[in-house]
Amino acid sequence: MLNDFLSHLFPRVVLRRNLAFSYTFCLGGLAFGAFLLLLLSGMLLLFYYQAAPDKAYASILFLESSVWGGGYLRSLHRLCSHTLLVLLMLHTLRVVLTGAYQKPRHLNWVIGCLLMLLCVFEAYTGYLLPMDQLALWATQTGMELLAIFPCGPLLRGILVPDGIGQSMSLLRFYALHIMLVPLSVMGLSFLHFYRIRKNKGVLPYL
Amino acid sequence: MTRGYLKSSPYFFRIIKIAWVVSTICLLVSAALLPAPLQEPADLARVPNPVKSAWFLLWIQELVSHSKYLIYAVLVLAVGMVLLPWLPGQKKSDQATWLGKGHLGIAAAAMATFAAVLLLTVVARYFRGENWAFVLPF
Repeated sequence: MLNDFLSHLFPRVVLRRNLAFSYTFCLGGLAFGAFLLLLLSGMLLLFYYQAAPDKAYASILFLESSVWGGGYLRSLHRLCSHTLLVLLMLHTLRVVLTGAYQKPRHLNWVIGCLLMLLCVFEAYTGYLLPMDQLALWATQTGMELLAIFPCGPLLRGILVPDGIGQSMSLLRFYALHIMLVPLSVMGLSFLHFYRIRKNKGVLPYL
Repeated sequence: MTRGYLKSSPYFFRIIKIAWVVSTICLLVSAALLPAPLQEPADLARVPNPVKSAWFLLWIQELVSHSKYLIYAVLVLAVGMVLLPWLPGQKKSDQATWLGKGHLGIAAAAMATFAAVLLLTVVARYFRGENWAFVLPF
């Protein structure tokens, strides 16, 4: 299955001298791998998490103390999220340093920027869900930062209609985190991959 | 096969698969060694000091702690990043190359920005104490 996926993504043949790992360090591919692991661990977490202010923290405690491998699953989800962001930043830096953002790849660069923004937003919406002190205050600070931006108060009002950690805001963060943002990331990722193939594959242009 | 060319499968795909397997194993093992933190239940009445944002937003928090107008620097950076392919002063090259001459200025600016974001994140994460005062972490 992986072979089929890769064969659609990359050209049938490559120059022998272009097989150097140092062309891309596989950073984009590794980021997508971390995203898939993130999806898998997130789907398993859904079986236990309860998105209500009075139940969220208790459901995390239950997961940690009473579910076999529950704590490990949560750690894996968190680590994959951090790794994804780090890999995306490094991938972006690599693209800039190699000049791969230039035409004919300029549209894919814009898609990539959007993907990075969505992944940061995805990580941010996930931060609130455990409903511990760290989650509450990190989210609160994030909202205060958003409010400084032009149109920030409007966005804040949409995301948090009733205060950080209250039922409506927690539900909105939850819906965004488990459905809307991951689906958008997945869709844009495939568009990103399609554009790579359309723009003649991996580095340097084949 | 044309001279100098190899079939992507298995030669190229092998590299990708190895990279995926190694990174997945690293993540699976690291998750066992680095447990996710869980603090006390959320309580709006108990405000920690200092209040810090998520690690990936700390650089913005550090920046606006100096002046709230520096948020516009973040906006300019974001817009500049999206419009990077259309910025003047670059020469288009046929092949993507590390630190190519046509985009050396952009590469230098990107490195400087990346280093600044990293520095701001480290300062905010480890060198900010009560009331956001500068403290030494050791």
